[in-house]
Amino acid sequence: MPKLTIDGREVEVAQGTNLIEAARLAGIAIPYFCYHPYLSVVGQCRICLVEIEGQPRLAIACATPAADGMVVRSQTSSRVREAREAVMEFLLANHPLDCPVCDQAGECLLQDHSMDEQGGQFSTHMVETRRTFPGLERRLLGPHVVQNQNRCIHCSRCIRFTQEISETSQLTYVSRGNHAYIDTFDGRPFDDPFSACAADVCPVGALTLREFRFRKRAWKLRSTPSICPGCSIGCNLWIDHHERIVYRFTPRENPKINATWLCDYGRFLAESLNAHGPAPTFRDEDGSSSSPPLEETVRALALELKAARTLRVVASANLSNEELFLAREIFAGYLHGELVTPVWPGEPRRMKNGHGVWLASSDAHPNANGARRLGLDIVDESGLARFLYGAADLTVLLDPLAHPYLAGEEALQLLRVGHTLVFSQRQHAVCEFARWTMGVASLACNEGTFTSGADQVQRFQAAFAPPRGALPLWQWFTLLARELGLARLAVATPRDVFQLMVSQERSFAGLAWEELGGFDTDSYREHQHVG
Amino acid sequence: MSTAPIHAANPEELREVRFDAAMESQIAELLTHYPIPRAALLPVLWLCQKRYGWIAPGVMEAVAARLGLSPAYVQGVVTFYTMFHTTPPARFVLQVCTTLSCAVCGAGELLAHLRKRLGIGPGERTPDGTFQIVGVQCLGACGSAPVVQVNDDYYENLDPAKLDALLDELAAAKE
Repeated sequence: MPKLTIDGREVEVAQGTNLIEAARLAGIAIPYFCYHPYLSVVGQCRICLVEIEGQPRLAIACATPAADGMVVRSQTSSRVREAREAVMEFLLANHPLDCPVCDQAGECLLQDHSMDEQGGQFSTHMVETRRTFPGLERRLLGPHVVQNQNRCIHCSRCIRFTQEISETSQLTYVSRGNHAYIDTFDGRPFDDPFSACAADVCPVGALTLREFRFRKRAWKLRSTPSICPGCSIGCNLWIDHHERIVYRFTPRENPKINATWLCDYGRFLAESLNAHGPAPTFRDEDGSSSSPPLEETVRALALELKAARTLRVVASANLSNEELFLAREIFAGYLHGELVTPVWPGEPRRMKNGHGVWLASSDAHPNANGARRLGLDIVDESGLARFLYGAADLTVLLDPLAHPYLAGEEALQLLRVGHTLVFSQRQHAVCEFARWTMGVASLACNEGTFTSGADQVQRFQAAFAPPRGALPLWQWFTLLARELGLARLAVATPRDVFQLMVSQERSFAGLAWEELGGFDTDSYREHQHVG
Repeated sequence: MSTAPIHAANPEELREVRFDAAMESQIAELLTHYPIPRAALLPVLWLCQKRYGWIAPGVMEAVAARLGLSPAYVQGVVTFYTMFHTTPPARFVLQVCTTLSCAVCGAGELLAHLRKRLGIGPGERTPDGTFQIVGVQCLGACGSAPVVQVNDDYYENLDPAKLDALLDELAAAKE
């Protein structure tokens, strides 16, 4: 393993590590635009120049592998500083100074490095007017990506992303040199299923996202680590939020699952996290409804559940391991209800991990494998229909979005027979006639673990407290457990539930809550100042 | 022998391109020269430009499909090189070298003469579609400057009189 010195700091790295990554390990940030840890190295932007002892010319750090005994100077070399200043001047020669109206501001590598390498002192020798691309300043490239070609610094990251990662090769340079601009073939829409990643990798404001631009300044956002709820792959992401509103998902690095990518489908589920269930609602036989206070609601629920002679429960593979565990213990274990978990494959989704391997989704849920691990009764659509055709006094739906069948006419008619209690994150047809509707807070307010398609238990954190009336499902369950006299389950946090589950379930034995997040590792993020 | 005119296929014909047997066999032959199909992209594009006169989007698509590339990738290559026509060219494309040797030996004079005689300058074409002028960088024939490349042929040591004779000859070349 090569041992080298960068700016006086000694570091030992794996064979083949380039100088940017070696410096990162030594705690030194070498600036770059075109380099990206999961894309090929092209050495186009020239900002990563470093001085290597014994070599007369400066070298680009991205394309130079670390070698044993190498002595590298980055910040400590005046030649390097001068060269980088000159590169910055070149890159800014044609770049519009429109940061105040540019939505990338605050998470723009050009801004960051301009401050770092030019000390915030912008100077230029250029007397000509800037080159512009009339007509390409505000162009919708596809369903999600907006292009402003004037800001492009020709790093080719977006092009390489479509060539190397999503493999659609939809983007290209048209023309060359000073006139080159990013385009799709013959004006076709940029409808790559991973198109938003092109805006992610764009180091400047040339590609931004239609859904996010101008909704929130980047520096206002806080980021909370979470897991994508879109399918069973379990991509790691950040929930970017401000004042209890979710603005977007951004990828959170995990080389084994999603590298630094998210598919468009999963990414744009972010908005759905802003829907939280309503305050508890009781609907009487005569159709009148009321919203009793929480304690009263829990008491009434417990009574209803205990009074039911036959109880059936539809769980959901969208719930966390902890929630499924509590549901099983309370409804099946203590109340002797019949409990099923519907699972459906949904649209096939896929993701390329950091080793270039495509992963495929098996289910449309983030936690179907959690339900399997807990030994729950998994049913498909016909199994769910059969379950609902059976007679019961009381049906409990833990999540009406557990299966699309539950929104169908047949299911709704079956659920009208007998009483229905529903825990719901969103307005749903079932809520219109259910005896009780309990508002559930969205994933943004929840904490717990999901078991991914590859059987990895991954933890997600709560971004903010739930709005009044809505509670995370685990909390409904622990309140209910207390009311039912199940002291063992009436614990205070998802972590407590997890500990209980680990101690009781062989399939979860040996797992430690603190180690499940991957939050402590130094995950790759270009814009450290966000969140 | 004078330069043959370009027959530019009209855009309608090139909306959807299917290579005929002759093209197919020439492409197959070209592919044998290279380790991977992508490496044959430039020669295949040249072949297409010879055949259709220019590289329409439909041609790019056909080439992309044949070589297993994306159409956008092919478009990137085509637009990188100014020698590929992405719009139907005139029958004779006059590439006037304007780099140093030609410039000092009278390229400016040639351009001025062309403007006088044809009424067009670099980047323009005559309304009848016979001539098109392109100002280009060094054609690598400095020893016989000034040079004008007409379609694929070089005409060297030119002056306005020789240019006139050339234009007469080209204009007379009917199909």
